[in-house]
Amino acid sequence: MKTISSEERTRYDRQIIIPEIGEDGQKKLKNARVFIAGVGGLGSISAYYMAAAGIGFLKIVDMDHVGLSNLNRQILHRTGDISKPKTESAVEKLRDLNPLCQIQAVQKEIRDENIMELLGDCRIILDATDNMETRKILNRAHISKGIPFIYGGIDGFNGMVTTFVPGQTPCFECLFPQNSPPKNKVGALGPMAGLISSLQSLEVIKIILGMDGTLKNRLLYIQSDDMIFREIQLKKTPDCKICSLGKGDSCDE
Amino acid sequence: MTSKNISITVNGFEEKVPENASISFLITHFKEEDSNLIAEHNGRFVYPDKYSAIVSEGDIIEFINPNFGG
Repeated sequence: MKTISSEERTRYDRQIIIPEIGEDGQKKLKNARVFIAGVGGLGSISAYYMAAAGIGFLKIVDMDHVGLSNLNRQILHRTGDISKPKTESAVEKLRDLNPLCQIQAVQKEIRDENIMELLGDCRIILDATDNMETRKILNRAHISKGIPFIYGGIDGFNGMVTTFVPGQTPCFECLFPQNSPPKNKVGALGPMAGLISSLQSLEVIKIILGMDGTLKNRLLYIQSDDMIFREIQLKKTPDCKICSLGKGDSCDE
Repeated sequence: MTSKNISITVNGFEEKVPENASISFLITHFKEEDSNLIAEHNGRFVYPDKYSAIVSEGDIIEFINPNFGG
């Protein structure tokens, strides 16, 4: 396991002093490899927090270019980045924030055909996509690889987040087996994206540290217009056609 | 013969629904249209293939539209 340099000890001092982290935890973060699917509203914040926290390797994947209408929430990108590939814009900021974090940027669409290659040896998937189809691709890949998948989504003042772990929880398609027709445009508010992606980032950090208390088998649902935070208890189902056949056999109790 | 109604709470509001109403019936009755709707029955997620479950007096039902934006 890679050790912590004196520069890193200083850079991460305020989190190393947290008992649950310490120097051992910081080493775990440094040795972690995290896949972030999308660097838009959710991915802007989660990628920034992952890099800031000293995750050793981040792979960021996005196919889009920065547009003016992204800038109300995608705070990794700036006005001068308009028309740039999002991954290029993101990697500039992330490297500037933390040159100690190794970042691989891939400007590609996530598809069934390339997901396994894209994932490589990443050990956690952080979902920062904006559509159901890509989430289903990520879902099948995380089951196949037996790695955690942190789902987050927003819509206006609402958002939800949960953690899927093969063998321990239901999967995304247990919850959402239908194919929803894509919505043309979903309302997206910066602080809501920030809230959900911050929670996803916390989940990633806790999983890397081996902490309990993650959102496994719990769907956290937030209605920020009334500041209501609720959780829905999720139960495994034996009938899921996706995860009951997968490596994790995650729907069997 | 008239059917008996029971009181349940749906999305925070008390509602009278027919005895033996199923989750499936409630989805139609309350015009919940999202195909990936999340149904919660007394704090528990209800999988779509269990929508035939019958609700009882005093049950709490929540219908939540999923959030897929990012």
